[in-house]
Amino acid sequence: MVSLEKIAPQQTNGRAKIEIKNLNFYYGESKALKNISLQLPERSVTAFIGPSGCGKSTLLRVLNRIYELYPKQRAEGEVLVDGQNILDRSQDLNLLRTKVGMVFQKPTPFPMSIYDNIAFGIKLYENLNKTDMDERVEAALRRAALWNEVKDKLSASGLSLSGGQQQRLCIARTVAVKPEIILLDEPASALDPLSTAKIEELIDELRADYTIVIVTHNMQQAARVSRQTAFMYLGELVEFDETAKIFTSPQEKRTQDYVTGRFG
Amino acid sequence: MSTIYPRRKALNGIMMTLCVVAAAIGLAWLGLILGALLYNGVAGLNIAVFTEMTPPPGQAGGLLNALAGSLVITVIAVILGTPVGILAGTYMAEYGRFSKLTTVVRFINDILLSAPSIIVGLFIYELVVRPMGHFSAYAGAFALAVLVIPVVVRTTEDMLNLVPNALREAGSAIGAPRWIVIRSVAYRAAMSGIVTGVLLAVARISGETAPLLFTALNNQFWSSNLNAPMASLPVTIFQFALSPYKEWQQLAWTGALIITLTVLGLSIIARSLTGRREG
Repeated sequence: MVSLEKIAPQQTNGRAKIEIKNLNFYYGESKALKNISLQLPERSVTAFIGPSGCGKSTLLRVLNRIYELYPKQRAEGEVLVDGQNILDRSQDLNLLRTKVGMVFQKPTPFPMSIYDNIAFGIKLYENLNKTDMDERVEAALRRAALWNEVKDKLSASGLSLSGGQQQRLCIARTVAVKPEIILLDEPASALDPLSTAKIEELIDELRADYTIVIVTHNMQQAARVSRQTAFMYLGELVEFDETAKIFTSPQEKRTQDYVTGRFG
Repeated sequence: MSTIYPRRKALNGIMMTLCVVAAAIGLAWLGLILGALLYNGVAGLNIAVFTEMTPPPGQAGGLLNALAGSLVITVIAVILGTPVGILAGTYMAEYGRFSKLTTVVRFINDILLSAPSIIVGLFIYELVVRPMGHFSAYAGAFALAVLVIPVVVRTTEDMLNLVPNALREAGSAIGAPRWIVIRSVAYRAAMSGIVTGVLLAVARISGETAPLLFTALNNQFWSSNLNAPMASLPVTIFQFALSPYKEWQQLAWTGALIITLTVLGLSIIARSLTGRREG
């Protein structure tokens, strides 16, 4: 059974930041998401859980349309962010992604200095002088609880950091461009337990300011960090509810079986 | 105990011996060639080689005009060929990764990569030399550029393909347009590999003789006119080595040694660059 001690009563204003309506997703001919409808509240952490191949990462990758990098992947339906359908053809992808940031499973520091890793994204859309940029970089690194570890070596390569530090650098980089939504795709699955704990603490701190969606196949992690949880199976959304309910009294048998470890 | 294990062990021994012998044969030829080059080349290595022009038969002289010509032609060839190669490689690895055109281009590029260089020389002869009416350093540089392109295309594509997609996704995920992701993330990650490709291309063309015979021809004297025939090291070696004159033959050996050492040096630099690649 999953420990529920750390499930904090998170307060939200209840407004839906992201509204997914009848979403279908295709990899070529094969259908990976089947008619998903879901509302994700603002300034709150939502977890997508489910066995491998259930479509949880796919669903996450629709939210910033990163799947568009690959041909033959397409989404049908509606995804409203602040009431605007981001699947619309007229949606500017780069602007969407400054609003909806993403952190990946494997840390992906750019092959440049720690400072430049953060400044890179900022420079794309803002013209800052040196002082302002320094401040922004510091603020982002502080936000990601990395500042104290790297403040003396900002010009060192981002690749010289440890895995956990690299992942926090990626979170700092994401936060630096001031997104409203942060997507986390199994952000701790490549990290050791201590680094994982740090990432989770960080998520806890960020949820006051950002709408966070996290994909994880670690159920304890979902229980620890999220306020609501979506359980997915074979491309379908089986159940979506408050995390505490999903883990203690799920409505669906499949959810029950999964969270108690009977399959998956 | 069964006989399987001793038999397998014996087989292993035989196989290993065969492999070692094969490797030794390969290395032995290389050693012999390098040895002969060193032995014959060093004898003629002196300051005059680098300061004097190629001499008329029977007189002492150097290789200065040939060295300078090779340098000029090679530099122009690299300047012309590298951008085309890098851009084509970038298209194939980045924009056109999933397109049919890429498959076609890759196939044709592979043919070009192994095309006999004399054909390239004839091609440029028809395309440049004949219309212009005379041989020229330009034509030589064009011919070598045609040889540079496929090498650079290949390495650029390969090196960019080694850049993990996650890195591109990460670049796109913070709102960077595709070309910025390529320029600031993918190129940076693949930089040492791409530079290696250019160095290998230089190594490849610096020994090419055939394409220059029909294009830059040769020149006994110093020439800085790109629109006129220009000397080059390989063609000079070719001409001098075939001659009956002792001084010329000596210069040919020395020139061969210089080219070999240059290519060796380039390869070592290329090696150490790829060796330092991280992530």
